[in-house]
Amino acid sequence: MPLLSESDANEVRKIFGVLVKDVYVKVFTQKLECPTCRDTEAILKELDDLSQKLHVKFYNFQTDREEAEKNGVEMVPAIVVSDGTHSRVKFYGTPSGYEFSSLLTVMVDMGGKDEPLSGETLEFLDGLDEKLKIRVFVTPTCPHCPSAAVLASRMARYSENVESEVIEANEFPELSMKYGVQGVPRTVINDRFYVEGALPESMLVAALREALKDDPPGEKNLMDYIHT
Amino acid sequence: MDFKTGIIGSGTSVGGDVDLLIAGGGPAALAAALYAARYGIDHVVIESYQPGGQAALTALIENYPGIMEIAGGDLAEKMKEQAEKWGGVFRMETVTSTTSREEDLVEVKTDSAVYNAKYLIIATGAAPAKLGVPGEDKFYGRGVSYCATCDAPFFKNKRVMVVGGGDSAVKESLHLADFASHLTVVHRRNKFRAEPYLGKKLLSCDNCDVMWNTTVKSIEGGDGVEAVVLNTPDGETRVEVDGVFVYVGRRPSTEPFRELVDLNPDGTVKTVNVVHTSRKNVLAAGDVTDNELRQVVTAVADGARAAAAVFDLMQQEGDV
Ligand SMILES: Cc1cc2nc3c(=O)[nH]c(=O)nc-3n(C[C@H](O)[C@H](O)[C@H](O)COP(=O)(O)OP(=O)(O)OC[C@H]3O[C@@H](n4cnc5c(N)ncnc54)[C@H](O)[C@@H]3O)c2cc1C
Repeated sequence: MPLLSESDANEVRKIFGVLVKDVYVKVFTQKLECPTCRDTEAILKELDDLSQKLHVKFYNFQTDREEAEKNGVEMVPAIVVSDGTHSRVKFYGTPSGYEFSSLLTVMVDMGGKDEPLSGETLEFLDGLDEKLKIRVFVTPTCPHCPSAAVLASRMARYSENVESEVIEANEFPELSMKYGVQGVPRTVINDRFYVEGALPESMLVAALREALKDDPPGEKNLMDYIHT
Repeated sequence: MDFKTGIIGSGTSVGGDVDLLIAGGGPAALAAALYAARYGIDHVVIESYQPGGQAALTALIENYPGIMEIAGGDLAEKMKEQAEKWGGVFRMETVTSTTSREEDLVEVKTDSAVYNAKYLIIATGAAPAKLGVPGEDKFYGRGVSYCATCDAPFFKNKRVMVVGGGDSAVKESLHLADFASHLTVVHRRNKFRAEPYLGKKLLSCDNCDVMWNTTVKSIEGGDGVEAVVLNTPDGETRVEVDGVFVYVGRRPSTEPFRELVDLNPDGTVKTVNVVHTSRKNVLAAGDVTDNELRQVVTAVADGARAAAAVFDLMQQEGDV
């Protein structure tokens, strides 16, 4: 039995109709001690069949160490989405529920013809002179999560200075604990700044512009940089 | 396992002229979009997030006629797909302000564009009201939550408190009780306002207890929530919990329309004949209005009426 229903598969086929460029997806899983790896493989296999433009390759996290390291993959299941030239955009965990729509959107961004970010955001990214690592913690049942997940992924897709990781919090309890995640979406940038909830693109960029000038001693809420 | 297939809009809006702008993307807006699309009205729906609104924030809806039970997010997604099938147009933006311009155009500013709309349907619904107690903001995302469907998994086998006694407080308590080791419901009255069926179900839950006539004084903790200080009929008491879910009512999201239409003291849009406002070309639908009963079924009904009212006005003006 496929995981995607017939109607969902048709919907995805329609969505993938806008792909004009090839999209490369690397999936890292392992056989043992990864209860969600099988489902992740299965769903990505099904996606692979829904568009000629999508090229999904599967790797074993334990035996394909070199590939995992090259892509900066640290846990499984992991999904790396790119145009074939980088590995900056990652998803950790099974892409179900609302996380599926984040993954679909990022695939469409990667292979579509339009730039999804606003001119203002691009200008900010072009001017970045430090590396940003954006982690977004999500759950599959959180309707506001895709906005945050997709925004981070879009920034990483565009800028060589940005890396994004969308993390399914339930599947990585230790990491979630380490970052004190008890609500989603929670975005953590360079382990220095964090924000609860999904900020609109313009607000996140405005906050980041201010925050990056600052060097707070501990973790600081991005909302503190928003002047209304 | 389920899979949501909605695509997230881009931030590259251009705005421009449109016959009808629908602000919000909850059930009221989704129904308005469906009807507007079927009427052939040139329109756009402006929603900050994924469409669905508050309906998407609940795991179980079992009082929407014709559907035995469904997750709110799934119902919202079906509504959006149905609207899109008929030509519904959606954009992910946030309305920041609205002004009336000459020739009765409404200028709608969003975080990324400016629209000039002949008609506006306000369907921005409501957001959770806060308790307004010390510790609430500090621990938001660190144990304080307004969304049980989103955050319940973080409280597996933990002690959880729910504040409130209305439909959503009781329904979400039932959802949380499946995760929590123990659930305490704190309510300021001596009985629930919720549907009796829900209240009974909660009172028979094994790992739950209810503290009546009790209010929250403060939320305390270190890195996360550790305890809640309560005012009870027997005096102040401190209850140790790991999480607090707040369901104490809703604030209508009417800030961007303050200058445009008359509001009630509670912030809701003042309506006449269900969906009409103080301005002829501005309609309102759903939880954002002062209409009685705030449910999915009433929100979609309002949305349909609002779109129909726009269609009527456009016909009178010879616009369609
Ligand atoms: C926990 C919970 C459980 C519930 N359970 C049930 C139930 O079982 N059955 C039932 O019938 N009802 C239930 N309800 C009530 C129901 O969800 C609401 O009555 C209904 O969603 C109202 O729809 P609406 O479209 O009017 O507003 P909302 O659902 O509030 O939608 C408004 C939308 O507008 C958007 N918005 C707000 N401001 C802006 C802006 N400035 N720019 C752009 N977009 C904006 C918001 O993001 C939101 O998506 C529940 C509500 C909650 C909170």
